[in-house]
Amino acid sequence: MLTGPKSFFKARQRVPDVKDRMLSHGSSDVGDKGTLGLRLLPGEHILQKAVLVRKKLPCREGGGWLAGTLFCTPFRVAFVPQDDLKRDEDTDPILLEDHDVALACVEKVVAVGPSRMKVMTPTSTLKFVPEELLLYCRDFQVHGFLFDRLTPEAQAMEITCAIAKVYQPLQPGALLTFLNAAFGSVEMRQRLSNRPRDATMCWFDIASDWETELERTGATGWRVSSINHRFEMAASLPRLNVVPQKVLDTQLKNTFAHFNEGRIPRWCWHHPSGSDLLRMASFKNNIYCERDNVRNLEALVFGSGQQCVVVELAEEMPTLADLQQGHARLRALCLADESAAVTVPDEKWLSSLESTRWLDHVRCCLRKATEAVCLLNDGLQTLILQEAEDRDMNCVVSSLVQVMCDPYCRTLAGFQGLVQKEWVVAGHRFLSRANYHRDREKEEAPVFLLFLDCVWQLWAQFPSRFQLTPEYLLAVHDSAHLPLFSSFLSNCELERRRRSKFLQLLPQCYTPVNGLGKGLPLTAWHALPDPPLPPVWDWALQYSSARRSRFTQPMTRPDPPPPLVNGSLNTVKTTEEAPASVFLFSRGTFTSPSNLLPWREGGGTGLSKRSLRRDPPSESPLAPDWLLKAWTLAENPGSGTLIPQLLAPCVGLWKDCYFRGVLQVQAFRHPEATSSHPVDQLAREVQQLMEELALASAVGARGLGQVGLEPSSTRMPTAALPSMPPYTTWTSL
Amino acid sequence: MFSLGSNGGKYTKPSFVSYVNPEQKGNDALQEKNPVFLPGEVVFCSASPVLKCTHDDLLEGSIMGTLFCTNFRISFVSDQVLLEDVVQPFRNRLYGENDIPLTCVDQIYGDYDEKRKLITNTQMKNKHPNGIIVHCKDLRVFQFSLKLAKEEAAKKIFQGIVRHSLEPKSLRCIFAFSYCENIAGAPETQNKPRTLMFENIVDWMEEMKRTKGNCKLLEINKDFTISQKVLFDRLPQFFFIPTNVLEKDLAAYQGKGVPIWCWSHHSGCALFKTASLPLVQEESFLRAQKLYMERMLNAVAHNYLYAVKAVDLSETLPSIQDIQQSYSRFKQNFLIDNIGEFWISDMKWFSTLETTRWLSIIRQCLHKAVEVVEYLEKENTNILLIEDGGTDLSCVISSLVQLMLDPHYRTLTGFQSLVQKEWVVGGHNFLERCNHLNNKDKESPVFLLFLECVWQLLQQHSLAFQFSETYLTVLSDSISVAIFSTFIFSSPYQRVSSMKTESQTHGSLLNIPSVWDWSLQFDCKSQEFLFNPLYREKSKQEKTRNKNQRPKPIRQLSLPNATPPKKYFFKEETESLRKMLRGTRISRWMHLSDSAQASVWEFYNAWQQKPLDYHGLLLPDLDGPAIRLWMQRYLRWIPEVQIFGGGDITLVNKITSLSQELEELRMELEQQVRQADPRCKSTETVNKSTIRMSCFFPFASCRSGSFKPAIPTSHCDGEMDMGHLAEREDEDTELTDNSVIRGCAD
Repeated sequence: MLTGPKSFFKARQRVPDVKDRMLSHGSSDVGDKGTLGLRLLPGEHILQKAVLVRKKLPCREGGGWLAGTLFCTPFRVAFVPQDDLKRDEDTDPILLEDHDVALACVEKVVAVGPSRMKVMTPTSTLKFVPEELLLYCRDFQVHGFLFDRLTPEAQAMEITCAIAKVYQPLQPGALLTFLNAAFGSVEMRQRLSNRPRDATMCWFDIASDWETELERTGATGWRVSSINHRFEMAASLPRLNVVPQKVLDTQLKNTFAHFNEGRIPRWCWHHPSGSDLLRMASFKNNIYCERDNVRNLEALVFGSGQQCVVVELAEEMPTLADLQQGHARLRALCLADESAAVTVPDEKWLSSLESTRWLDHVRCCLRKATEAVCLLNDGLQTLILQEAEDRDMNCVVSSLVQVMCDPYCRTLAGFQGLVQKEWVVAGHRFLSRANYHRDREKEEAPVFLLFLDCVWQLWAQFPSRFQLTPEYLLAVHDSAHLPLFSSFLSNCELERRRRSKFLQLLPQCYTPVNGLGKGLPLTAWHALPDPPLPPVWDWALQYSSARRSRFTQPMTRPDPPPPLVNGSLNTVKTTEEAPASVFLFSRGTFTSPSNLLPWREGGGTGLSKRSLRRDPPSESPLAPDWLLKAWTLAENPGSGTLIPQLLAPCVGLWKDCYFRGVLQVQAFRHPEATSSHPVDQLAREVQQLMEELALASAVGARGLGQVGLEPSSTRMPTAALPSMPPYTTWTSL
Repeated sequence: MFSLGSNGGKYTKPSFVSYVNPEQKGNDALQEKNPVFLPGEVVFCSASPVLKCTHDDLLEGSIMGTLFCTNFRISFVSDQVLLEDVVQPFRNRLYGENDIPLTCVDQIYGDYDEKRKLITNTQMKNKHPNGIIVHCKDLRVFQFSLKLAKEEAAKKIFQGIVRHSLEPKSLRCIFAFSYCENIAGAPETQNKPRTLMFENIVDWMEEMKRTKGNCKLLEINKDFTISQKVLFDRLPQFFFIPTNVLEKDLAAYQGKGVPIWCWSHHSGCALFKTASLPLVQEESFLRAQKLYMERMLNAVAHNYLYAVKAVDLSETLPSIQDIQQSYSRFKQNFLIDNIGEFWISDMKWFSTLETTRWLSIIRQCLHKAVEVVEYLEKENTNILLIEDGGTDLSCVISSLVQLMLDPHYRTLTGFQSLVQKEWVVGGHNFLERCNHLNNKDKESPVFLLFLECVWQLLQQHSLAFQFSETYLTVLSDSISVAIFSTFIFSSPYQRVSSMKTESQTHGSLLNIPSVWDWSLQFDCKSQEFLFNPLYREKSKQEKTRNKNQRPKPIRQLSLPNATPPKKYFFKEETESLRKMLRGTRISRWMHLSDSAQASVWEFYNAWQQKPLDYHGLLLPDLDGPAIRLWMQRYLRWIPEVQIFGGGDITLVNKITSLSQELEELRMELEQQVRQADPRCKSTETVNKSTIRMSCFFPFASCRSGSFKPAIPTSHCDGEMDMGHLAEREDEDTELTDNSVIRGCAD
């Protein structure tokens, strides 16, 4: 319930109260700045503040404390360090500085007194002077603030109460309040609508992005259909979908009814071996009368391939409830939450970790993706991921497959495009899964976080094959807990557009066109103002440039384009003039149940017998192992495919993420040696030396060698190993 | 190299009479496939053809070859000579990937008609098994099938192997003796930073000078004359004692109870260790012992007049037997004959590991060491470690303490000196603890436990150590290669005396090499892997700067002018910490008294607030998630967990190659500047051979042999292809691909 002041749009409020003045007398350097260096967003105002507060630094930032001032605004709890010197006043203020906590992210406020601690709620009163304030956040962070004896007691109490009042425990309506606090002001709206969209990445909401993607992956036989551009065919599908070229829009129209929520098979990605990756929802409406219709369905399912493998994701994958439970347990374990009363002795750590089953879920997804990769690698077939709703595990697996196979998806722009394509536009229910409104408990599940963990696992096993860093994954992880971004605040494109009031403009802008991919007049799109809610990918809004620079690491050697895999099996498949055959891949084996494609009932059996004979792995119960082993052996390190090892010892815990909150324990003070920074440094040094060398040879050729270069050569360290900053400096950057 | 001809056997020496006579006939057949023998190595028996099976159930394959049993190793020589030629980046000179040093054999299982039985030395069955499965101490697993060999040869080889690797034997039978007789006294290479061997006074004096300690050197045991009569035999030749201890005190309890100096803190307080006094019942003796110990403690306290604290390790740490039990359960998880077992254990992997308690023993040791470090560093107390024998856990703790406190020991030579000082000369009973003579009863991997603890430190602070993880792995392997004097004696006295008698019989001075002579095992290129490319030596600047700053290392909290005195901060913090301890994570400190808990905790926190100095105090992180599995050592032979083209090693490698490139560029630049030579030198790009590395890099090369298509008829060609391709990565992917698929389809 909102209890904060209602006047959000007031300009800066400067009410220097008595205590404040008193304090500014005491300490000389405080007085001149009313906000003590806090840079307010437009429309933001300070509700309460406390001076001489120490913030406990989490271990990964080096531990210890930082002294400064604590503020509470309707949007965030801000902490400004005392000796924060490097402050660019020119740059736009970012939403959250390094030490700030968004109120919507706070899950629990705990006040620690001399002899007791109390969980603060908006209605609770404080009867003691808190010595410490703990903010438990949803993104596994815990922020601890120590009130010094010099902190005025009243301030300590008041700010604690203020935070407890304005932080939004998840409940219906709280979200809007928070959004208003952040973006409500006119200036903020102005600023947001003026921000240009990142043109370097694909957003997949215009046809040209899809066409670029088709071209990039080398897929042929597909087209971008805008039949759903007004969301009339399927509300949860994106406006643009990629379907086989041979299926015309008029024919396509009738197929929607046969799939759950109208989510027909759509093209996702093209493997260099010639296979295509598709995804669809389960079948619905088993009445197939028209012959034409069946033909269209077949064409949709088979795409350009001769053989189609349906990978059913429902059976082996963890359910949403499993995920939710696993995540909750992991949280309890990692945060060591005092009030949760579950503390795990160190000796029991491993078994407790095991019992959360979170890592099993992670492995499960990676395994499924690995199997899919192996199948795709076989070439010239169509792989369809099928899930009842096509909005959860399909997203995870299809995007994992692409991360594993496609080096481009391991770059920053590529990864963002991937998330945009497979999650945001494809209609993952971000809003329901996050359950910000606390009204649909059953639908809450950290599916996207599971995906991020999987990507981190891949990163941990192949650190040098990624352009993006764990730092970046962490940023995405945190942003997913922040209800501020259009990407994560809707369940599908339609909702997103409604929210941005974009839909109202539609009738004036567009006339429905049935043509291929020219549904959108591009100029019209760009002329429109951006929606008030920013996309998550606008990192400059959230993070300082110093942090953003750590989102990527240099790739010393760009991955060569994946070679076409040449296998004798492939040619056999293409030459055989058989009616397209379809298999179900489930539990590691191929089967060909007669009702796999419901419209084939009756005629399907003869077909399947023939295909069984042709498919060697169907006879072996060890198909996935077989595939995997054949793969790891044949795997070409240059090809850019990452095949993770999934046995228990190889799967790690994303400590940088899950252990951030642990303030009391000294866990993971120092990053492991896998960090890329030394490499970065070295690469830069090599670069510099090469330049100097070029210069030297140029000068040398002119015969003026010695004089000009003396200083530069003395500048270089002479140690056997090149100079690189000790870890401490760059971890606390 | 010494090669075994019909005349070249040393086996006629009287000490080897008990051996089975070596195979004489069929020498010509052997000649072509002989392994490269080491000097002094003698073949006892051999069998051919023997199949070596890879423990891979899917692409099952086996290699045909000959199995040898020599006085050093069990060696399998493949019929395909080519496999040997495959360039391995990291090769041991003493034994290859198909060799098992006899002392490295852990357990042997016999395969009796599909039934697996553990072979013990007592039941020497006449019936030989169809195959044998050898579990090694370095966690390799070999399966040899004897089905194809002739009945007689199979029986002989089986008995030979069992006899020489499982039966109790005498010290003289250890290979090192016959090895050293046949090598010329290795030229002593005097490197600049030399490993102190602590076998002479100079080394001890140097160490004392370095640590600026103030203790009394005792030469009483110089010739070990007293060792035999008066003193118990674990005492080193030379050692330091507190100045107040008299020589006659030594004799009282055969040297037990006498504080022996280990190391001095820069403040002056020092670390001592001692063996506890024998247990007695009688009142009067008890009183005498008590008085004696009090005097000893007083003597320790006189060292710079700091207080003294006795730490009894036998009480608080797991016993030697516990360690052995825990480890034998632990290692069983990694000795896998059949990958199926691994899949089964997979789901319960973490809890299985946990129930062995090995990781928690490591944690306990590290914790105890931190405690001792606190006493030395913060409270400046003299420490006396007391343990029953005084040479097991006290070695672990004292070396760990020194490693944490003294950056010198984190360099390669420093670490070796430390091991030499605390373990080798310090009298750790390697002979029995490593079970080289196959008398199982006293076996316990205490030294390995120490290496494990070091590894935990190393992986938490990888920049602080000059040596690499690979170094520790290799060192742990070397324990079970009975060639080095370092690991085959029970005490310095035994080493000196047995070498003396040995030299007398031989007629010239013998010298068993030390393990620190790495060139014995690895060539120059391989030795590079032992170093940590990220380690940075302390620069001169830093050294002087630190010296000046020494007294005030604690970071000042930059609160406005009215900064409260530090004491106040500390006190307050302690209180809140106490609170915290009461609230949650109390478990770790449970066994300490309340005040001790808080004090260790406080110490920890104080350390954490300081900026990390890799050349200063280093403390391990003891949390549940922080103590990890030593993947490289335990999982390196299991192909299923190898991440190809991935793992941390890729980054390390990248760093190495980049720094090499830097070095070269720098050199070139210097040259350019110096001679201003317009002649453009061809820039050699350091093309580090892009071997297809796995995450266990230097060790995983055996992978090439493990994936063989089961094509019995043409296995020759197939294997050669496979071996090459796996090794030489991607030149012909299609070929690999096809042959595998074909192999599987067959």
